[in-house]
Amino acid sequence: MAPEITASVEHGRTGHGGSPHPRVGVVKFASCDGCQLTILDLEDRLLEITEHFEIIDFPEASSSRSSGPFDVLFIEGSVSTPDHLRRIGELRKQTRVLATIGACATSGGIQALRNWADHDAYRSAVYPRPEFVESLARSTPISEHVPVDFELRGCPISPDQLVELLTALATGRRPQLRDEAVCMECKRRGVVCVMSAQGMPCLGQVTQTGCGAICPRMGRGCYGCFGPREQANAAGLARYLQASGDRSAEDVGQLFAGFTAYAEPFRSTITDLGGTRGARRSGGGGGGAAGRGGPGAAGRASYLPAKPRMEGFDDDGH
Amino acid sequence: MITAELTRPERTTTAGRWYLERSGLETLVAALRADGRTVIGPTVADGAIVYDEIRASSDLPHGVGDVQAAGKYRLTTREDARAFGYVVGPTSWKRWVFPPLVELNTGMRAGHRVEFTPTRPDPTRLAFIGVRACEIAAFDAQDRVLDSGHFRDADYAARRKAAFIVAVQCTTAESTCFCTSMGTGPEVEHGFDLALTELDDGFLVDVGSPAGLELVQGALAGSMRPATPVEVYTAAADVAATRARIGDPLPAAGLHDRLLAQLDHPRWAQVAERCITCGNCTLACPTCFCTSVIQTTDIEGNAATNERAWDSCFSPGFARVAGGSFRTRPRDRYRQWLTHKFGTWWDQFGTSGCTGCGRCITWCPVGIDVREELMAIAPPVALSPEPARVEPVAASFDDFVVAQVVGTRQETADTVTLTLSGADPAFSKGSLGQFAMVAIPGFPPLPISISRFTVDGIELTIRGAGPATKAMCALKIGDQLGLRGPLGNNWPLDRAVGRDLVIVTGGIGLAPLRPVIHALAADRRRFGDVRLYYGARTPADILYHEEMRAWASRGGIEVNLTVDRAGPEWDGNVGVVTQLFDHATWEGANVVAFVCGPERMMQATANTLAGRGVTNSRIFVTLERHMECGIGLCGHCQMGKYFVCRDGPVFSLAQLGDIFGREGI
Repeated sequence: MAPEITASVEHGRTGHGGSPHPRVGVVKFASCDGCQLTILDLEDRLLEITEHFEIIDFPEASSSRSSGPFDVLFIEGSVSTPDHLRRIGELRKQTRVLATIGACATSGGIQALRNWADHDAYRSAVYPRPEFVESLARSTPISEHVPVDFELRGCPISPDQLVELLTALATGRRPQLRDEAVCMECKRRGVVCVMSAQGMPCLGQVTQTGCGAICPRMGRGCYGCFGPREQANAAGLARYLQASGDRSAEDVGQLFAGFTAYAEPFRSTITDLGGTRGARRSGGGGGGAAGRGGPGAAGRASYLPAKPRMEGFDDDGH
Repeated sequence: MITAELTRPERTTTAGRWYLERSGLETLVAALRADGRTVIGPTVADGAIVYDEIRASSDLPHGVGDVQAAGKYRLTTREDARAFGYVVGPTSWKRWVFPPLVELNTGMRAGHRVEFTPTRPDPTRLAFIGVRACEIAAFDAQDRVLDSGHFRDADYAARRKAAFIVAVQCTTAESTCFCTSMGTGPEVEHGFDLALTELDDGFLVDVGSPAGLELVQGALAGSMRPATPVEVYTAAADVAATRARIGDPLPAAGLHDRLLAQLDHPRWAQVAERCITCGNCTLACPTCFCTSVIQTTDIEGNAATNERAWDSCFSPGFARVAGGSFRTRPRDRYRQWLTHKFGTWWDQFGTSGCTGCGRCITWCPVGIDVREELMAIAPPVALSPEPARVEPVAASFDDFVVAQVVGTRQETADTVTLTLSGADPAFSKGSLGQFAMVAIPGFPPLPISISRFTVDGIELTIRGAGPATKAMCALKIGDQLGLRGPLGNNWPLDRAVGRDLVIVTGGIGLAPLRPVIHALAADRRRFGDVRLYYGARTPADILYHEEMRAWASRGGIEVNLTVDRAGPEWDGNVGVVTQLFDHATWEGANVVAFVCGPERMMQATANTLAGRGVTNSRIFVTLERHMECGIGLCGHCQMGKYFVCRDGPVFSLAQLGDIFGREGI
């Protein structure tokens, strides 16, 4: 999942078009804007950043717009509509260093859960006039379409990692974005493991760090919003969770079916365990586009549970 | 051989033994705090007993116990109000003497100038309450890593030196404990200022240092009195009961060598399918010391701060250089951890890296138990074949027990199998590959391999080559003979568990391997592929020919035969036995080989096996030498440093080294 780092960090030192500072854009695709808010939430630190970067396009923050070129472009959100498909290639051409921010842009986001379902059936179930809704059958990460230089994971991203990336770009060094498990952060902080001490399922072992282990610190299991870390043994964790906790394949698959469900190897783990619960309920039967065989491949056969359970949702899935 | 005893420091002077009333615990905490120390000890937080600041004795986990298993930890309520009635939890003292994040230095760049300023914080004076024996062993291990030798970690040394240690003897244990196996506990014997053993109403106190004595004679004096013999006895009995309760869960003799001989064991790949490589084990471990430096800079890039953070060999990036990682696969990283902790740590630092505390077992989120992995990868068999398990009978030069021939079977024209009974029960309890000294008055006693163990005796398969063996072959049912044995060591079949086994033998050499095949067939699923390669002079000389069909059909053993010469009735292979596996497709990485035959044949076989990747430590041969006593007294069978009768007859090629096959040894 982690893209090759192709950009020279030196690019950050001189701006396009004779500008004294690198020209920065922040754009969004299919997303909730939460990661953009994280940029604004930097508050006082943001002022220092604007002394080193010229922000030329950031609709969430400013009415001044630009279509590039960009020295650094942050993209929030997944590729989810035909329009996104058209825009992404053009933006890449206008950009030196492309950084994707957040679970949507780096993995396809929560909206990628539809990748396991029948897209048309979903659309018809949700919208009274589905013919007006232009969307792709799959929600996909930016890196599936264009080369990406840096990824900031998370839902939302970590402000510290954002500052680290900007600082690295400003100074021409490699950003320190660690690829270890969330567990490492738990242990350094002295957080008692919720899996060993409470029997609570936790994805921290297979999830990339960067969040500061915020969920285990609050006494709950990690739900993987930073996405799979390098060589994540999701299948091994899934086997253990099934064997140790009297959990069904469906229950375990659902643990991975969150904000980064479509990132490998979470994706194939979910598919191996029978697809997402929502897809089964919508009648998609798990036969969506998220199968192991890549785009368009049929998922595995699945079934409708006798009594659907969807934490936080009523019986109609709302 | 490296032993734990070598590294155990002298017991610190104990200046008498005292009894501290339970209420004196508060006095102890207060006195340590009054001394300007921050007191760290056990306290309940987030469903576990963690080490944190103790401001009063009421912060201690009175009446709280725990249950622990692989991947599982739960607090329990004790029936008493003991403060230390639990087993080590998720925290280790490493957190205070070797903190997870320490600022190392800052760097500045101004124009052409650069400047580095070490941070070197003045460590807080600490007192640790509740340090267990395994944790003192962890201090010892960390001292050797970080504070001995030429280069030292000044920050660690300062923190360690500034800590006052109140140890606690373990009067309880959990399923994850194995300090007894690692030689580190449960008895606290050194490395403390004060050591407590918790009794029903108070504590037995041992003094381990001048600072401890000062406290006992000063602030604690009002709460203490000399201990009674009953208190001293009870305390010792409670700790002894803990030792008994733990047992010896990980037989560790020779573990260093056992483990390092198994770098290509298939289990590494199996455990990597279960292991998530999260690194929890390494960070929970009280001795793991690997770190990475994390640098942060200001946005100008002119000011940098370097911090040292706990890191783990399980993270893919830990061994990464510009071209990639040196340990790319999870199995590589699991092997790195386990072989370092239990193996190469000895070579680097003179101790085991493991203290037997069990944290890596409890806090492995997917419940991997290092003891199970070690027992599977490096089972407690010696690198060389094991000595016999039963005491031989008639084990002196002048003695034989009498056995009776109850059956004879003509195997080939010159070979007979005798079924013997009535000798001694020891014979039927002998091990695979052992032999007996067999005597008929008037003939010299001869060593004969046992070719089968029966309920009440043994079988001997004898080729009539000389006068004595011909006399034995001529024995009839009801005749008697003399036996001494069972003697020698045995084929290390345990080492083939979970692996493929290749048996290569020729002629009468099949006899000592026949019990191996019987044992294999009885427990077939514990082994991988089993292949027998057997060569005889002619088809008529094939030993156990009928029995072999059963080995192949029902025993799940691939039987490959060849003969030196044959008439037209033979449609099988003709040629030497090594030619049989010229066209075989198996790989040697997972193979253990047992070889028996003439020495030249064994040498050729060893070369062929080596060519397929079977290492010397996995090739075993049985040697034939002139023997008269069979018990290492007559001197006939000497081969280099070995008596073949006593140290063999089974040897690994790694054991024999370059004397194997050398002319004139």
